[in-house]
Amino acid sequence: MRNHGRQQAGHLVTAEGPEHERLRALVAPFADGELSAEESRAVEEHLPGCARCRRELTIHQDLSAALAREPTPGASAALRQRIEWMGEPRPVRNDGGSPFLLRWAAPALAALVLLAVAGGGVMVAARVRTSRQMAEVPLLHDALADCRRAMSRNFPKKADLPAVTANVTFPVRALDRPGLELFSTWKTTLAGSPAVGLAYRFRGVVVVQYAVAADLVRQQPGLGKTVAGASFYEGSSQGQAVIALLQGGSGTLLIAELPPRELRRLIL
Amino acid sequence: MKAAEPRRASFQASTLPHLNRLVALASRWGNGDEAEDFVQETYARAWTAFHQLRDTGAVFPWLCQILRTVALEKHRTVARRRDLLFITELEAAHEEMVASDDPSPLDQLLARIEAGSLREALRSIPGDLAEAVELHDVQGLKYREIAEVVSIPIGTVMSRISRGRKLLAGLLKVREDQEPGSQVAIQGRRSQGE
Repeated sequence: MRNHGRQQAGHLVTAEGPEHERLRALVAPFADGELSAEESRAVEEHLPGCARCRRELTIHQDLSAALAREPTPGASAALRQRIEWMGEPRPVRNDGGSPFLLRWAAPALAALVLLAVAGGGVMVAARVRTSRQMAEVPLLHDALADCRRAMSRNFPKKADLPAVTANVTFPVRALDRPGLELFSTWKTTLAGSPAVGLAYRFRGVVVVQYAVAADLVRQQPGLGKTVAGASFYEGSSQGQAVIALLQGGSGTLLIAELPPRELRRLIL
Repeated sequence: MKAAEPRRASFQASTLPHLNRLVALASRWGNGDEAEDFVQETYARAWTAFHQLRDTGAVFPWLCQILRTVALEKHRTVARRRDLLFITELEAAHEEMVASDDPSPLDQLLARIEAGSLREALRSIPGDLAEAVELHDVQGLKYREIAEVVSIPIGTVMSRISRGRKLLAGLLKVREDQEPGSQVAIQGRRSQGE
């Protein structure tokens, strides 16, 4: 290799010498503006006499600039929404998990469980319950747990409403709103009684509807009275909003990782 | 509940502006939904620890540190034997570039690369080097901040960035030599870092 033999700061800087290697190691931080004034000066004095280090500097500068221009993924609207909702009044943790997250392996989706109120009419907002209070309502506790299980194991692969509603004694009506796409149905048991689960996609969020017998809802402590008289029940648990209603002879639960006001718009 | 509102507002104002950058960084360790899961967990931990943050001017590095912990906990990289032959090949290619007469050895190569390919190529160099380069060149962190995020001395940051870029340059040269004048995306061999 050519011997530069250039005098620099009293030292002979050769291409193979330790001084050159020291300066060469400073080229990258020099390109990044991370050197002290003294070190920068040393590199600046070295560069005019060393084409090799000049090329090295160009490589660092060009790569750094090119990487800075690289496109990078951004947050989805659903994620942003969940983060924005973080810290809202809120779930008492009762399972050791994060109060703001659904610890499900499923894609970041929200489950929406809707409970419809019988007879329609004016909906009266119920006081928002915390997850601790909801945990004391067997139906809500079981619905949330079933929802999480379905999310973590992936929902049943198909939606077959006739199959899952055969032999149930209460009406099951799928939600019908623009943007809702039913993709899964299944049978389950909530609070010891038969229930039908329906999962929808809605703007990148999963909406889960449980249909149950109206009497089951009425019998639930803290829930029955609330939903009686054209009211709906509203709560939240670990980042999920929950709404419960009675409607058309059956009860429906709705759970979602959405602000309660958005849930209400879907069903009310 | 009312007392929590100022804290929540402060948390949102401090952390939300960094959401996209964190997702971009998280994509180092996972794709799509997995990366978003990492970020969501990061925010949950950050919320819990928000009261411990003293320097509100250093929120992004703080979040990066949490994200890195989350991702490394969940993305257990199995240590594999480094493909030393491949690294040697990249080092030789880089040496060839700096020894050449071309004053701008990378100009033409970078002009032919597809958008996104360069960042993808980082996956083909050792992970510790790629991480340092990404944190500086893509995420814009200073050396001192990278040292805090990764818990290494600044000198190590310096050497990792230097060596990482050299290997990346070598990779571009190797690909160019294999397929001259092509515009294919860089797809180096994957190399699991330490």
